[in-house]
Amino acid sequence: MKKFDEVKIGDTLGPLELTVTKDQCRAYAKTSGFGDVAGRFTDEAAAKKEGLPGIILPGNMSLGLLSKLVTDWIGFGGARLTRMGTTYRVPVQPDHALTIHGFVTNINPDDRTVEIDVWIENEEAERLVTGTATVEFPK
Amino acid sequence: MVDFDPTIINKVFEHTDPVEVKPEMIKRFCESLGENNPLYTDPEAAKKGPYGGIVAPPSFAVTFRNGRHFFEHVPRYGKRGFDAGKDVEFVAPIHVGDTISLSSHVKEIYEKTGRTGTMVFVVIRSTLTNQNNQTVAHIDHRFMNRP
Repeated sequence: MKKFDEVKIGDTLGPLELTVTKDQCRAYAKTSGFGDVAGRFTDEAAAKKEGLPGIILPGNMSLGLLSKLVTDWIGFGGARLTRMGTTYRVPVQPDHALTIHGFVTNINPDDRTVEIDVWIENEEAERLVTGTATVEFPK
Repeated sequence: MVDFDPTIINKVFEHTDPVEVKPEMIKRFCESLGENNPLYTDPEAAKKGPYGGIVAPPSFAVTFRNGRHFFEHVPRYGKRGFDAGKDVEFVAPIHVGDTISLSSHVKEIYEKTGRTGTMVFVVIRSTLTNQNNQTVAHIDHRFMNRP
């Protein structure tokens, strides 16, 4: 469990290395109510018709993976992820080696919060999704 | 500057029926993200945690859908809107058995000129509320349009 007094600016989170399978992508789409229609998140042909290289991850799934990086870092209890902002720059594809990164950019002792930059990279170190997170520690 | 009817700002255009959070919903969500934190996956371990039982991972909040007519209320400029990003404020954890409803309004519309030309951003704010009328999360959806 992460403790506020142990956090320093520049601390890194992860990196979390993973490959999302197409089935995982479809499963996520289904939990979010996207799964009942053929579309860019579930159906290869439908995605290509839209000019995409194939199925892509829902933006919310990227947000979920970035949130997981932060909640993994927090561990079991204690602090809480209170804010996550994302910018979708380039579509994220399944079956690619993704790396999820984060580092602490600011610490506010007054309200015991920590600001974190987070991002998802592909094999070419291209930043596909970028974001910022706020973690609040118990007072 | 982009032209729009200012009366649409802050006017709630949607309020969905409550959805009950079932244990399987959290379980399936966790599986699809490879989630293994016992706070979200292990009922016994979670009892000893800060919430006294399983809660959903924070990002579960974004899975609550707007109604089918949602996009009819999102102002559009140009041919196609693009999901540019989200800003989510996680106010309170979501527990198994909670019933969550969602209401949405246009928060702001603004124009930005960048390297690639003019973009119009439409921000829709959805607020999630539980059965105790407690706010659970605010989700700002940022849609980018090219006029």
